[in-house]
Amino acid sequence: MAPKPKELKADFWKTKDFKISIGDIVSEEGIESTDESSVVMGPTQKPNVTDLRSWDMKLLERYPPFYSPFCDMCCLCTYGKCDLLNKRGACGIDAETQQARTILLACCIGSAAHSGHARHLVEYLIDKKGEDFPIDLGMDIDIEAPIMRTLIGKKPKVLGDLKEALDYLEEQMVHLLSACHTGQEGNSKDFESKALHAGLMDNLGKEVGDIAQIVALDLPKGDPEAPLVELGVGTIDREKPVILCIGHNVAPGAGIMDYLEDQDLEDDLEVCGICCAAIDITRYNHNAKIVGPISKQLKFIRSGVADVIVVDEQCIRTDVLEEAKKNNAAVIATTDKMCLGLPDKTNEDADKIVSELINKQIDGALILDPDKVGEVATKVAMRTSGERSKVQVLPDMDEVVELAKKCTECEWCDRVCPNSLPMMDAVVSTAEGDISKMEELYNNDVCYSCGRCEQECPRDIPIISMMAKIGETDLENQKYNVRAGRGPVQDVEVRRVGAPIVLGDIPGVIAFVGCTNYPDGGEEVAKMAEEFLERNYIVVTTGCGAMTLGEYRDEEGNTLYERYSGSFDAKGLVNMGSCVSNAHIPGVAIKIANIFAKKPLEGNFEEIADYILNRVGACGVAWGAYSQKAAAIATGVNRWGIPVVVGPQASKYRRLFLGRTDKEDSWRINDLRKHTEIAGEPAPEHLLYAAETIGEATVMTAKLCIRPNDTSKGRQLKLNHYIDLHKKYFGTLPNDIYKFVRVEKDIPITYKRDVMQILEENNWEPRELPQEPSLMDMKGD
Amino acid sequence: MNERVIPWQPTVIAGPKQALLVTPETAKMMMKKAKRPLLVIGPLAKEEPLLTHSIEIAEKWDLPVVTTADTFKIFSERNVETKSYGTVEILNLLKDPEWKGVRGEGQHDLVIFIGGIYYMASQGLSTLKHFAPHLKTLTLCKYFHSNADASFPNMNDEEWSKYLEKMKLN
Repeated sequence: MAPKPKELKADFWKTKDFKISIGDIVSEEGIESTDESSVVMGPTQKPNVTDLRSWDMKLLERYPPFYSPFCDMCCLCTYGKCDLLNKRGACGIDAETQQARTILLACCIGSAAHSGHARHLVEYLIDKKGEDFPIDLGMDIDIEAPIMRTLIGKKPKVLGDLKEALDYLEEQMVHLLSACHTGQEGNSKDFESKALHAGLMDNLGKEVGDIAQIVALDLPKGDPEAPLVELGVGTIDREKPVILCIGHNVAPGAGIMDYLEDQDLEDDLEVCGICCAAIDITRYNHNAKIVGPISKQLKFIRSGVADVIVVDEQCIRTDVLEEAKKNNAAVIATTDKMCLGLPDKTNEDADKIVSELINKQIDGALILDPDKVGEVATKVAMRTSGERSKVQVLPDMDEVVELAKKCTECEWCDRVCPNSLPMMDAVVSTAEGDISKMEELYNNDVCYSCGRCEQECPRDIPIISMMAKIGETDLENQKYNVRAGRGPVQDVEVRRVGAPIVLGDIPGVIAFVGCTNYPDGGEEVAKMAEEFLERNYIVVTTGCGAMTLGEYRDEEGNTLYERYSGSFDAKGLVNMGSCVSNAHIPGVAIKIANIFAKKPLEGNFEEIADYILNRVGACGVAWGAYSQKAAAIATGVNRWGIPVVVGPQASKYRRLFLGRTDKEDSWRINDLRKHTEIAGEPAPEHLLYAAETIGEATVMTAKLCIRPNDTSKGRQLKLNHYIDLHKKYFGTLPNDIYKFVRVEKDIPITYKRDVMQILEENNWEPRELPQEPSLMDMKGD
Repeated sequence: MNERVIPWQPTVIAGPKQALLVTPETAKMMMKKAKRPLLVIGPLAKEEPLLTHSIEIAEKWDLPVVTTADTFKIFSERNVETKSYGTVEILNLLKDPEWKGVRGEGQHDLVIFIGGIYYMASQGLSTLKHFAPHLKTLTLCKYFHSNADASFPNMNDEEWSKYLEKMKLN
């Protein structure tokens, strides 16, 4: 696919006094971003594992790790198993350190998944386009790779430049993983420092991956008006042959779309996806459709709609082959990450593979060539679809009721449900002819269909298949949309909102990210996003979280994407893209430091992170985080100084970062303008916080957008939202409000009398407003 | 194995140490023996009948009450004095032996839990099991919590209701 000519967006021309000179980009106030010739490198270019340790220790001093062991034991070496409950293991490790070690391991796994994905993409796209293919995100984006610039100290100009970042992070990852070996690190905080480094490498790998695919596959380049694409089980035309892509790597899906286009078959087949592969295929070609997030996976495979299932990498059910066999669907594995025991047919003639798949000579095929995947998947789908449509894959409604009658009410389905859902009640009601409880579990993916209930059922009741069938009775209502992932935020947008964010006039940037392991379905997450959009926050989103927001309609039938603009501005709902696009979230915070505050990026991680922590009111919400990737994502953004609120399931990650408001010394800050240390405030109060209910999460998210740098006007706004939301969910003003009032001007006018009363009760006294709050150059540094 | 003392979610089993199965009588003895007990009430107590049970047990034993998540609101509407903390916030304070407790009288020596989401409560109890040797934990939920020091068994609603009624007696 040839690159399109640059599109000059209207916003670009509105930018005042913007001058371009060869070599440098000069803004009105000074140099924003430079070519290598004029770069002054900061102290930490290509930081090694311990180079940012002093910054980590500052964070860990203020936000000490809080551990919840998932297991008392360690079973990693043959000295064990060792019981670590109030004891040390045979190697000398204690429970706290073992938790931190496990977290590091999880972050390494997550980071490696993203970076392995990025390596695949870069090599594939270089092979397709050449090393010299330019990295050009259009005229509105000059800071193309803020994370890479900060860490590597260079601006990537061509695809080949991205390899330097991958080489660097791969080396770091080897050292980090090696620290997990028995008899290496022996201190929990040092393990956490390494986990933060693994998270940072995750951020870098994602940025490399997304930039490579944006430029080489011509995905939207920060376009706030990226088109709406179809989302939902009900949007799939079941009369056509259907190819389903599951996973995260766009290449096989792009290969399919290219083949359809080349053969002029675009109208004859449906190409759809689940999880981030779906997001990225629709960024590549808007004719593809999104079935939905990861929670749709087993239900949709069981429905038998897909004639061919193409899997790539990450978050795919590992029993996909067995499930596909049940309804005669063909499986094509496409990456080295998931070969499924299938024969490698990469170098086989495409028609021969098609023949072997159709004649069931092979269970499926491993094809490591995306173009060949396109041809094989298309031909198999077209030739098998008619015959497969006669196969009844789900029980009919009468059978559903009969199957439900087999239930003995042993309750084991309830007991093994990771989310403690009332599965048995739903089955029992179904047996009585009432499917409403099963519908409640199906709708909004309240049940994310892990299938553990079925595994445990002594009567082998296929609960997920029954639920899938019941869900099919209302397909017409399962049609939604989502704005195609736009990629990074434009520099011009950052110029427009940088000051209002840093000064507090825009009350915060809230990122809804992560998976769909929600405690009570997706609708409450979408409503939470709606709450913040209505309050003028900027809402950004990615991956399965972005799909969840699209699956909610208001009373008029409009989705959030239809109601709110895609601009990075107050009341904007910005879908950045897939998991790898998460890199643009710390990316935009970094851009604010660079474009608005003129902080140089190159080799300057600590100063940038310090700026974000103290001045950029951003907060992540990962209400359904389940994966090791999510652990790495959150840990990475934490290192940049961005707090994250997670759901109750995330307590199983074993570690949070919690502040203590009663430890006043931990909140001291340095006012760099005056070179004096002053009393600070718990802002942000926590760095990684698990909430139990959506109400608690909503209030905490508003609170975690408060920053020491807020002006009084900005603080008033932020406190107004914090109080409003606290009143809504808790019924009262927050009793810690006095901790966030520095001077009387900070008090929201609407609540002045009530807040003053709380201040008096707590012997409040005004305190100094910092002009340049920082954790840098503190005593003892 | 007795199904009443397999953790409600069986994979919660963390290691050799399991909670002591207690009856209401034993639970009350633990409360009588405690110098500074604390009742922590989770969001499942926003609904009846657990709401009323929790309030009456707190009143009977004059227990200081912490409500987690957004449970505070309904208790406040019922004029029950509680302190509001996130689950992880109160656990973070409870594991600190130097914390002075919700009444400022010193760290608590017995923490009684009711109404928490099972899997999150299990994680929180694990925190205290490992890192708060200075206090004991007791759960009054209808599910066996193996990470607690002492727990009611797995029960149906009817039996559980009887257990909770007994908790309101001397």
